[in-house]
Amino acid sequence: MKNFLFILFFSGVSIAVTANSLLIKNVDIYSSRGIEVNTNLLIENGQITGIGNRIAQTADREIDGTGKSITAGLFNSSTHIGAVEVSAIGATVDSYSDNDSVTASLKIAESFNPNSTLIPHNRTHGLTHALMVPDSRTHLFSGQVGLIQLGMQPRVIHDSLAIAVDFSEYGFKVSGNSRAAALVELRQALDDAKDFSRNRKAALAGDHRDYELSYADLAALEPVVNGNKPLLVRTNRASDIKNILNIALEFQLKLILMSALEGWMVADEIAAAGVPVIMDPINNLPSAYESLGARLDNAKLLSDAGVTLIFTGMGRSESHNAYLVRQSAGNAVANGLDKSKAIAAMTKNPAKLFKASVTGDIVVGGLADLVLWGGDPLELTSEAELVMIEGEIIPMKSRSLQLRDRYFDRLKQ
Amino acid sequence: MNTLFLRTLAIVPWLLVAGCNESTDATVKVTRPNKDPYPSTYVVPNNVTFVLLHANILTGDGAELRNTDLLVSDGKIVARGTNLDLDDSVLRIDATDKWVTPGLIDVHSHMGVYSAPSTSNHSDGNEMTSPVTAEVWAEHSVWPGDPQFEKALAGGVTTVQILPGSGNLIGGRGVTLKNVPSTTVQGMKFPGAPYSLKMACGENPKRVYGSRNMLPSTRMGNMAGYRKAWIQAAEYKKSWDEYAADTRDRSLSNTPTRNLRLETLSGVLEGDIRIHNHCYKADEMAQMIDMSKEFGYKIAAFHHAVEAYKAAPLLAENGICGVMWADWWGFKQEAFDMVRENIALVDYAQACAVIHSDDPIQIQRLNQEIAKAMSAGNRMGLDITPAKAIRWGTQNAAIALGLEDEIGSLAVGKNADIVLWTKHPLSIYSHASKVWIDGALRYDRFDPSVQPTSDFNLGILEVGAIRP
Repeated sequence: MKNFLFILFFSGVSIAVTANSLLIKNVDIYSSRGIEVNTNLLIENGQITGIGNRIAQTADREIDGTGKSITAGLFNSSTHIGAVEVSAIGATVDSYSDNDSVTASLKIAESFNPNSTLIPHNRTHGLTHALMVPDSRTHLFSGQVGLIQLGMQPRVIHDSLAIAVDFSEYGFKVSGNSRAAALVELRQALDDAKDFSRNRKAALAGDHRDYELSYADLAALEPVVNGNKPLLVRTNRASDIKNILNIALEFQLKLILMSALEGWMVADEIAAAGVPVIMDPINNLPSAYESLGARLDNAKLLSDAGVTLIFTGMGRSESHNAYLVRQSAGNAVANGLDKSKAIAAMTKNPAKLFKASVTGDIVVGGLADLVLWGGDPLELTSEAELVMIEGEIIPMKSRSLQLRDRYFDRLKQ
Repeated sequence: MNTLFLRTLAIVPWLLVAGCNESTDATVKVTRPNKDPYPSTYVVPNNVTFVLLHANILTGDGAELRNTDLLVSDGKIVARGTNLDLDDSVLRIDATDKWVTPGLIDVHSHMGVYSAPSTSNHSDGNEMTSPVTAEVWAEHSVWPGDPQFEKALAGGVTTVQILPGSGNLIGGRGVTLKNVPSTTVQGMKFPGAPYSLKMACGENPKRVYGSRNMLPSTRMGNMAGYRKAWIQAAEYKKSWDEYAADTRDRSLSNTPTRNLRLETLSGVLEGDIRIHNHCYKADEMAQMIDMSKEFGYKIAAFHHAVEAYKAAPLLAENGICGVMWADWWGFKQEAFDMVRENIALVDYAQACAVIHSDDPIQIQRLNQEIAKAMSAGNRMGLDITPAKAIRWGTQNAAIALGLEDEIGSLAVGKNADIVLWTKHPLSIYSHASKVWIDGALRYDRFDPSVQPTSDFNLGILEVGAIRP
């Protein structure tokens, strides 16, 4: 039987207790079933084994969850966690490449650093998983999207979930300052990938025509043009979104949209195409000409149209403070989005779409990947009091907390 | 207000009484440069007398009052309490079970100098052509039509300090604005607000100028650059002081030559202009404090003070505000040692702790930033109430700006800058419902006719459908 370790921190004093069952009583549970108020949750050996008021069993450890809530562990679906330490120090940044001969083939997850200080910081605040999405620097194609888990042995779950494309003003800049040119480039690359896929052997033997992209890039695009892997396209202006929806139809691609600041204007088209949207619902400024229509209820309007939402955020802190995706979600709710849908957008929806090893839900039989919040799960005054990642309780320890304790001790003297 | 009166006096030419010599002229007029050549033209549009009835009030200076009435007249708070004696003509606004705070103050914003859309033509905040550009004034860059202002207003922000960027050692003058629609920046300027001067420690100036192979390329180069500027400023001030004191020979020829750069710096040495110093690290704060003593000026605040918790006793001892984010970190090495408890710890050490945004998204929800900082402090065992925490964006921010006699709390006599919230102001679900500045209703979440929008938005947003 596998035991797991509880490490509790009270005023800097740690008490380690081994136990294999945990009962959280009188707690509100937010799950795909909705909100169950004042109920109980039983976890045994890292697995959820009971939910409800009728759990009679006692456990090795019990927590009174009165006034508290539980959600699944949070996902942030656009980060550079593990590929950045200090953004201004290039040597620590692996989220993009200046090498223009590496485009779709770049796997950001291959640069994943499990010892990054961003990981303990984010997990102590409830983030259990993150999508690693590369940035474009020289080409429309940014590279391959990975999924990581932030537990005590942080690891890459998938290193190639999708191929990312920057079809925003930045992408247009690197493809000749023209939307139309970017479309030509995108179509050409997809056509080439199809051609490469059909003539792979001859192409690799040097008996076929030349391509703009490297063989490695074309090979990376092969599952995309064959409809097996999604293209993840960052784009904002309503007309750009429509162009990308058309391309996806034309090439029969699986598509995920990202950012989509003017998504609400074409919400019905996005919904009809069954395309999920990764977005930060906090953005409401006309920060660029491609996002003059940005508004705080974009998430609500997309959701009302039937679009599956997946959240990132908040603002410029999406890696170092990736856990603040919760604040972005809270603001979406403050601006009309259903609360359960907001929580699903950072738990169940990404877990399902990105084939995580957890359910992103609170269900009997599922691995305990969850957070006990001090109150309402979206209120900023509710702290993550207990975090479990893939069945393991993580210690509330990070560089930031160590700094805090060191200086608080000095100030108290 | 007395302070306003004194400030007005300070800007008229000095009148000196001549010494006891043979001259029969009783007075000699010494003309100093006008200290307010771009004066505020701000006016309060109306003077409704109104009362908020039965409100729950976070006063902004540390108290929480339940079920209390707040009476506003002539743009000021004139009474606060229960069962106020009210004239029939007073407009009554029921605030039962609603929360009220002072207008929020952001002491660090670049709205108008980095306007939206953020295109290169709107990049007007960093005059990075010389490491010391004390001669530039942020107000000369501000585009009052920046559509970001109205979003901050919808977040309950009534006063903003607009600062130049941090690319330079000394970046130029900041300006304090009322967050009201206006076609000119003069129409937004806070009457009588002291000027500020932006300085920057650390990585930014040394990176900008080091990459051009000129001073400063190091932190010691930064210090040499500031000190050289203060030495020049002290000499310049002396030349004007000697000119003013010299009553014998009053010919035009000995009037010192005006130097805009040194004029601003000597304004700091005279105590008229307040230093707002971008400075992340505790060790650099200590250097800046020593330097201020070397040259005899005062630092009002350290901004982006990520390591303020390491220097909190020093800040308290020197009466300097720490201006902080709730949680930003990691974008630069000097922002690596972030703790979420920074603001709470600075407050705990009894220094002046202030929240700031430096960001057009976060300025829309300073209440949420305050909530996070409060929660982090409470998590470590400090007992910080919402009434205390709100001070970080009200009274303490007003202290940082030198405007604590006018704004920052809902005390009788203060300006009627008021926010009525839809829920508890520290709840993520809360919105500013109504926002008054000097007693004038400037924003109403539920009345599109009181939702100002920039000229820029016309023809882009549908009329009457002002987006949240």
